[in-house]
Amino acid sequence: MRARIALLSYVAAILVGTTVHDIRLLALGLGVVLALAGRGWIRIVRRASLAVLMFNAVVTASYVVIAGLGGTFSPAYVALVNLRVLFLTCLSFLFVERVNVFEAISFSPNLTSLFTLSYSQAATFRQVLANFRMAFKSRCIESVRLRDRYRHSASVGAHLLEKSLHNATEITRVMRSRGFFND
Amino acid sequence: MIEVEHISYRYPEGEPVLRNISFAVGEKEKVVLLGANGSGKTTLLQILDGLIFPKSGTYRYRGDPVSERQLRDKSWSRRFRKEVVLLFQNPDAMLFNPTVYDEIAYGLRQLRVNDLDARVRDYAARLAVERYLERPPFQLSGGEKQKVCLASLLALEPDLLLLDEPTANLDARSAGWLIDFLGDLPVATLATTHNPSLAAELGNRALVLSEEHELIFDGEMNRLMRDREKLLAANLVHVHQHRHGAMEHRHVHGHEWG
Repeated sequence: MRARIALLSYVAAILVGTTVHDIRLLALGLGVVLALAGRGWIRIVRRASLAVLMFNAVVTASYVVIAGLGGTFSPAYVALVNLRVLFLTCLSFLFVERVNVFEAISFSPNLTSLFTLSYSQAATFRQVLANFRMAFKSRCIESVRLRDRYRHSASVGAHLLEKSLHNATEITRVMRSRGFFND
Repeated sequence: MIEVEHISYRYPEGEPVLRNISFAVGEKEKVVLLGANGSGKTTLLQILDGLIFPKSGTYRYRGDPVSERQLRDKSWSRRFRKEVVLLFQNPDAMLFNPTVYDEIAYGLRQLRVNDLDARVRDYAARLAVERYLERPPFQLSGGEKQKVCLASLLALEPDLLLLDEPTANLDARSAGWLIDFLGDLPVATLATTHNPSLAAELGNRALVLSEEHELIFDGEMNRLMRDREKLLAANLVHVHQHRHGAMEHRHVHGHEWG
């Protein structure tokens, strides 16, 4: 029951976080999330910042260029967008860390199946990524050059894309075979 | 060459995967690490390659402790990475260069060897992949990728070759070829497998990890192969029922399922 209440609270917080446009309220929300994280708040902020870094950088840079050219640039808007993304990401990391999601969504067999599939895929991909990183580290005798890092990242990306396409096809067949789809 | 003393390892948020493991490997020794799936073989190889570090105990390479701190010493790390190499179970994890030639040359370029081209072609020929030198590695079959990985590692002329389930991606002919090739290599090898019939071909000394992640055997391969209780305890062989027409019987098996 506690897990379901936590899920409802999480969904409500996500809705509020995406509709509120007052930067002070978002900052307050982030403060509450970090307070709930307790001693793990630094880890959560670090993970969330790394996770959103690329996305936020691209969105912010695009906005700065387009709004700058149109003469409508607003620093407050940049702060609002970045704070919102950071708040939602920290909230999600805290939720996943503290709540048994399987228990929270156990009211819906279909949702549980989909979540289990996503979870198992994420775990598999995490393992693959860790293996690729270790293999790369193992083969680097000297400090890694930027060019090699790019090549390695491209190779990992291509492998993961191919693997995800293969897995998606296979999982769809398995689910059809086990009667998940009624077609 | 390497000494492992009382090492234990557990992943964050996980159960222990290695418990109090101790053993040593000498120069040019051929050692096989046996264990059922999940017994900790891959983790142990990753520790021996200095990719992860034990939570307790010590691992020494030629007398020096292998630790994060030691590997920050660039000249030591350079020597270690050249002398100790690991063939990963999944060859895709190791391949990222645009051509097979670049893949084999990758480590050699870092070492700035003078005879790079000759050495690349020599190891490509030894591993029978010279006709693929201009092709991207990802276009090759699993067995060919495995050979390219091995050529890339052997071109460094290492002293210790760690192999994680080296025949896992190979067909019967390629597996036989690889076993002969490894047997003739003048370097120390430590290969993992869960297949006892293959183990006897890969080395003359066996280490066995139990499903409780402890080292339960360290000795001659022949002695292990005669120790049915140990093989059963480590889940390396199984007993099952056979049917030959009307006749039924049970006995120990060491062959692969599937």
